[in-house]
Amino acid sequence: MIINGVTIEDTFAEAFTMRVARIVITGKTARWAREAALKLTGFATSVIGCKCEAGIERELAAPETPDGRPGVSVLFLTMDKESLPQQLIVRLGQTVLTCPTTACFDGLQAAPDRLAVGRALRVFGDGFQGSKVIGGRRYWRVPVMEGEFLIEETFGMQKGVGGGNFLILAEHADAALAAAEAAVLAMTDRPGVILPFPGGVVRSGSKVGSKRYKNMLATTNEAFSPTLRAIAPSALPQGVNSVLEIVLDGTDAPSIEAAMRLGIRAACLGGVRSISAGNYGGKLGPHHFPLRKIMTASAVA
Amino acid sequence: MSDVVTLALRTAPAGALELAAVTPDRLAQLAQREIAALPVRHGGRAAALGDFFVVQGERAARVRLEAEGLGAAMTGGELLVEGHAGRDVGVAMAGGTIEVRGDTGDNAGGALPGAARGMVGGEIVIRGNAGDDAGARMRRGLVVVTGNAGQGTGRGMIAGTAVVFGETGSDAGRWTKRGSIVACGPVARPATFRYACTYRPPHVRLLLLYLRERRGLDVADRWITGRYDRYCGDLAELGKGEMLQWAGE
Repeated sequence: MIINGVTIEDTFAEAFTMRVARIVITGKTARWAREAALKLTGFATSVIGCKCEAGIERELAAPETPDGRPGVSVLFLTMDKESLPQQLIVRLGQTVLTCPTTACFDGLQAAPDRLAVGRALRVFGDGFQGSKVIGGRRYWRVPVMEGEFLIEETFGMQKGVGGGNFLILAEHADAALAAAEAAVLAMTDRPGVILPFPGGVVRSGSKVGSKRYKNMLATTNEAFSPTLRAIAPSALPQGVNSVLEIVLDGTDAPSIEAAMRLGIRAACLGGVRSISAGNYGGKLGPHHFPLRKIMTASAVA
Repeated sequence: MSDVVTLALRTAPAGALELAAVTPDRLAQLAQREIAALPVRHGGRAAALGDFFVVQGERAARVRLEAEGLGAAMTGGELLVEGHAGRDVGVAMAGGTIEVRGDTGDNAGGALPGAARGMVGGEIVIRGNAGDDAGARMRRGLVVVTGNAGQGTGRGMIAGTAVVFGETGSDAGRWTKRGSIVACGPVARPATFRYACTYRPPHVRLLLLYLRERRGLDVADRWITGRYDRYCGDLAELGKGEMLQWAGE
């Protein structure tokens, strides 16, 4: 399959089931909601080192948020049920609670699994906190120097998908970066999807474990590293001199698939040789995203 | 033929009383005896309207429902009262919503005589004026008065919220432990409430937006985004309650 001169390889992306929460942060202005969201989602690229993966899903206009102020929707994922509330409590407490003017709301109200995040953070109020039930939902009012921090008592948790991906194999680094930027732009503001890496792009796709260092959980993927083509088994065709990866996490597989379709199409630019994807042979992750099938569906649509 | 059909409650129903057959258009066609024979359901069983109400007048499309304690101790569902209601509306209620499109008497959302607690959950929206002691001894829940409220609104509140868009009478919040009284209009505040600060309370914004968007109340922007004076009280009690008085935009 060839799109705009770029080969879509006959392979698939393999993704995992994760736990996801959606956090809606509002502020006096979009700027302050964004400031809190950027801190909250900072250092949250990969569970390998960050214990969670998070990103901005999209910005919300004032009429879309519970308190009618500009907001940001964040998706926050962990590998297991237990660590999601732990990570949320630590991170919301240090980033959103501290940020001027913000309030914090649950964005997965229908999810039956409830995480008592606001209930844990209320104790910052040292006994001066109070709660309010509004429209059947409980909120905590935590007194702070600025005034009051309002946070919903519980946040919904549901199964999500982590590790959707595709690889951009390009003739040179500039072409890889331009294609990656175009792909990220095409996938920005897609509901149910985040791109947890810097600017949405990864340059250091990894393999599991290490050949040399026992304590390393993940090390460089030499098969896709162009500088090692001469001394290690390579997966790169001749003429490919740089590879960038896009990683997608989301609330569900169809959302990720829809975003991948847009992103891959946008990445098919001059200087790109092929689009591939990372997988583990199909045995580890329950979610498979076959690239050609995804792109064929787009041709039909 | 009379101007109005008056239905005065004579026996408080022990269970839920469904009055689906009692509509003004139907009563306009019926004689007094036929009205009393209209089918109602009480606790799911068939009964007659006359079993519970004294019927006066006939063949009139205006119906006046005279009842006290409407929605008392209700735990869920929605009760809509078209017109004025008597005293004790939603007394000791635990859940659900009551909307009164008119005035109410005293003790709306209040407590039964001698009871330590008033309403413990649910919402009462009074699109009119309330009598005295609205939300008295409330433990949880919401009482909203779009008009004026009499004396003792939220008196002895344990928690919960009372919102008055009009004028709030004297002794509001007296003996309050926790809970909030939001006064958009003038309020006679007991001396045992102490000024804390002037700010824009995020929960008031959320609450008033909820009332506007979900309950269809005509809440002005200046109340939603405005500044409020926060008074803590009752300091003769626990003092964790508050009175939030609108202070401008």
